[in-house]
Amino acid sequence: MAGTAEERDVKVRAEVYEVAMSSGTPPTIEEISQRLGFSRAEVLECLERLAAAKALVLQRDSREVLMANPFSAVPTPFAVYADERLYFGNCIWDGLGIAAMLNVDARIESSCGCCSESMRLRIIGQNLETVEGVVHFAIPAHRWWDDIVYN
Amino acid sequence: MLLFRSEEHVDRWCKSWGLPRGAILTPQQTWELAHAWYSPDRRDPAWRRRTVEETESLLASLGLTGPFWDLR
Repeated sequence: MAGTAEERDVKVRAEVYEVAMSSGTPPTIEEISQRLGFSRAEVLECLERLAAAKALVLQRDSREVLMANPFSAVPTPFAVYADERLYFGNCIWDGLGIAAMLNVDARIESSCGCCSESMRLRIIGQNLETVEGVVHFAIPAHRWWDDIVYN
Repeated sequence: MLLFRSEEHVDRWCKSWGLPRGAILTPQQTWELAHAWYSPDRRDPAWRRRTVEETESLLASLGLTGPFWDLR
């Protein structure tokens, strides 16, 4: 097993973000294993440590990556079109965060949380175009990680 | 964190879910928060999560202060 656990964690985290940023979605355990030459068990150990450190969020049963914030591994109502790819944010904050992290122009297709009317945000030159609407943060900051999937 | 057409829609949503109203930000404020929060490159080996103090400082720099934004 090459390197310390901490070194492997750093490599896995970097790989998760590299793939998420370049392809649109975080990689599977199998993909990480193949790309880094780590065994599946080694990848799983890294993912568990990264999740415990709140650097990633894993799916409950499969332990695949669910969230590499701001990226979601599953479709959400926060679709981000950027760099000729489709990404999904975990919430509207994360949808905007994808545009910030990629540092590219982006279009976010979302909808009103109340009535589902479609809403669109555009980031051009790292500036948000003027848009109607508001963002609601339902959970106080000190409880954000109590249930990050709900939040 | 959800997007709504207006504060009235937020209130309707809160009522239908039986939840108290949280904090309301404009899309521009949320963009500024997202930009500050997510700009650091998480592929960088030196990246680490912010400490509570660093997060408080970031939120305060964007005017996000008060009980809702307290982290402890």
